Amino acid sequence: MRILTVLFALGFTAVALRAEALKINGSTTVNLPVAEAAEDLRAEKEMEIQVDTQGGSSGGISSAGEGRVQIGMISKPLADEDKAKYPDANLTATQIGEDAVAIVVSPDVWESGVHAISKEQAQGIYESRIKNWKELGGEDRRIVFFNKEPGRGTWEVFANWAYGDHKKAPPASFPEVGGNEETRNKVSSTRGAMSQLSSSWADGSQVYALAIKEGDEIIEATPANIAGHKYAMSRPLNLVTRGEPGGQAKVFVDYMLSEPGQKLMVKHGYLSMAMLKADAEPAP
Amino acid sequence: MRRSLDRFVAATAFICLGLALLVLTGLLAAILLRGLPAVSWHFLTEQIRSVGAAGGIFYNLLGTVILIATAALAGGLPAIGVALVQTVYLRGARARERLGLVLYLINGVPSILFGLIGLIVFVQFLGWGKSWLSGGLLLGFMILPTVTISLAERIRSLPAPYLEAAAGLGLSRSQIIRSVILRQSWGAWVTGILIGLARAAGEVAPIMFTATIFAGATIPPGIKESPVLSLPYHIFILAQDSFDPRVKEKLWGTALVLLFLVVGLSAIALPSRIHTHDEAAQA
Amino acid sequence: MIRAQVAAGGAGQVAARPRFSAIACLSWACTLLAVACLFGMLALFAWQSVPIWEKEGLSYLAGKQWFYRNEIFGMLPMVYGSLAVAAIALVLAAPVGLGAAVGISEYLPNSLRLGAKVGIELLAGVPSVVYGLLGILFLRNWLYEGLDYFEPLSGDMLLTGGILLAVMVLPTIVTLGDDALRAVPFVHRQAARGLGLTRGETILHVALPQARGGLIAAVLLGLGRAMGETIAVFLVIGRQDNQWPERLWSLQPVIEAGQTLTTKLGGSEINIAYGTTLHWAAMVGLGLVLMLVVGLLTWLGAWLSRRKEPDAA
Repeated sequence: MRILTVLFALGFTAVALRAEALKINGSTTVNLPVAEAAEDLRAEKEMEIQVDTQGGSSGGISSAGEGRVQIGMISKPLADEDKAKYPDANLTATQIGEDAVAIVVSPDVWESGVHAISKEQAQGIYESRIKNWKELGGEDRRIVFFNKEPGRGTWEVFANWAYGDHKKAPPASFPEVGGNEETRNKVSSTRGAMSQLSSSWADGSQVYALAIKEGDEIIEATPANIAGHKYAMSRPLNLVTRGEPGGQAKVFVDYMLSEPGQKLMVKHGYLSMAMLKADAEPAP
Repeated sequence: MRRSLDRFVAATAFICLGLALLVLTGLLAAILLRGLPAVSWHFLTEQIRSVGAAGGIFYNLLGTVILIATAALAGGLPAIGVALVQTVYLRGARARERLGLVLYLINGVPSILFGLIGLIVFVQFLGWGKSWLSGGLLLGFMILPTVTISLAERIRSLPAPYLEAAAGLGLSRSQIIRSVILRQSWGAWVTGILIGLARAAGEVAPIMFTATIFAGATIPPGIKESPVLSLPYHIFILAQDSFDPRVKEKLWGTALVLLFLVVGLSAIALPSRIHTHDEAAQA
Repeated sequence: MIRAQVAAGGAGQVAARPRFSAIACLSWACTLLAVACLFGMLALFAWQSVPIWEKEGLSYLAGKQWFYRNEIFGMLPMVYGSLAVAAIALVLAAPVGLGAAVGISEYLPNSLRLGAKVGIELLAGVPSVVYGLLGILFLRNWLYEGLDYFEPLSGDMLLTGGILLAVMVLPTIVTLGDDALRAVPFVHRQAARGLGLTRGETILHVALPQARGGLIAAVLLGLGRAMGETIAVFLVIGRQDNQWPERLWSLQPVIEAGQTLTTKLGGSEINIAYGTTLHWAAMVGLGLVLMLVVGLLTWLGAWLSRRKEPDAA
């Protein structure tokens, strides 16, 4: 009986003494390198890190703002209105990399000659004024637009580009896709399909990334163009904290900014901070 | 003319039966073929690496086990009480019918609504964040009707001589319940739990807002803010959000493990169900 | 002897003695708790959805447009979606399921019967997320290619959801249908055969009509299950809002994407709405309507399956 009490007390203390876990939530785009970094840190430093992807980027902001998590992952810039929603939280963003959103199309569209899209054309498609690929120089086929579901940073980046401000985007009803895998899967298996996708996922075989047409210029989503912010739909990958990161959150953020963390960014197809700086600097 | 109608009916019945079984075998074959290559001892005992592309699903399996174990208690224990009320304490067929209806209704509630109520009660109102306990309680409530009905049916079919003998010996009602009714029907109780757990193990909707996350949870440290990983949620997320082609195989492996778990639970319950079935047929 | 009689007498009065035993109290407490939880769910949904009822009232139910950013909330297309996929599921599953039930209960020898039942129940045990996986990776592609003549926009259609649901509710219909048929006393069939009816005629004119209540119940409960399914349908239905068919009774909407009450609740809007008053109320309202509709179907099914023929044992 006494042994049981001792064991119970020990177990209880062990549980109680365990440091509170570091909780991270948000964008599925940022999730990939972050989740892997969490695995590494768990193995190396025995940190307890919980990663979730509820609600995408907007979920990241709300969960960080409400204090439910210490770090929110977002795949877009932290806007003033986001900060204003949680004035007490003093939300601060630390950028860990850069990514681009591309309009991706299915192989048949690419092969029929559509390689670039302009802002006006995107608006036309979004508002269902343009319904056929032949209006973009492709074959005679209906445009099947898979819209990113609400709350995704990817959608916001697209809407910001197409309409200047995502709040100005008109209401539209399209079939929705959620994560990157679902998007790529559905676009590649449907003729005439297009959607918004992180450019690192456009593998050039299942789906193809369209370049942006600005006037006469055709700007592709290359690392150089993304880093130099020439490609309009580039977006920072941010970790959002309440105030400057401290404690365990700081350990994590520092890790992401350090070499092993940045290697993870590149591994998952994003631009590291170094690549951002290097390509942004004008050639001597 | 009558002969051909007769043959027609028979043919239709068998075609339908065959179709149903064909679909089943096709399904199972698809999952087995794709999942088997991924499953190994290694797969079951390691944890996730590379966001699902490598490693195993140990903590997912553990999380599901924690959830269904909690559900077994949270649903199974009250079910005893409800079954007793339904069979022993309630008098009048009307009242019993009404209670039976309530059980039917609980059983029919769409599982997403359990998730929604969990979000309102546990996450919002109680402020627990994501907790294994919320998931366990919700799943327990979900399987309550299954266990209750299984137990109640068994109690109803207890041979009258047992109860008469006990009463004749002067046992009080509580004593009769303890020594005769419950003792004789605990098998049905376990069976009901196993069948209920087979369903609960595969549910995503009740736990996705309230109890489970995708990565990082191991053993829950307490009650508040203590999510777990789980098998079905893992599959659900990876179906939408994987990265690596290697993940596909792991995905099927996870599906297969989940299927084994579910089938295993049902299979353990099988002998007891056959036994009850035969008993009823002979009665 | 006297003791036994006293004891017997005492035991006979057991029912009249006040039930204050611990077991009785606990049992009643559990029961009341369970009932309270069920109605509590309903009450909470109703309470938390009050803002939307206040603001929009009937246009929330009958509205055909849902644009949450503009605070326009109308659920009719989702109700249509739920009903449509469930209807497709039943049109496919009910005949096959009832046919299989007839096969199992009327034709199969006892030895095979158990095996078939177990097999069918295995189908019931497959988790919905696995069905969803099979749907998103296979079924939607098969349908997209197979129905090319009708030029569907993509493999995400109400039909895909419906077919997936059909496979999922098939076991329910088979099992309950078999139970219903088995509940018809054997003597009735014997009598019919004795009068010279063939097996087929016996089934058509004796067994099926007498099991009618239970068979309808089986279908209704299958319908309830189909309407309540979330995860499998979520992955293959397209999740497109505001899909209200131009002509209600045509087949065109079947090959288009849509949204059901359950897929909306299982999607990202729940997380977005959390914390916003009106949007959250609108989402919870969907839950309320879903619970009421499915509850009604379940109630009907339970009522029908309990109605026994006067001469059934």
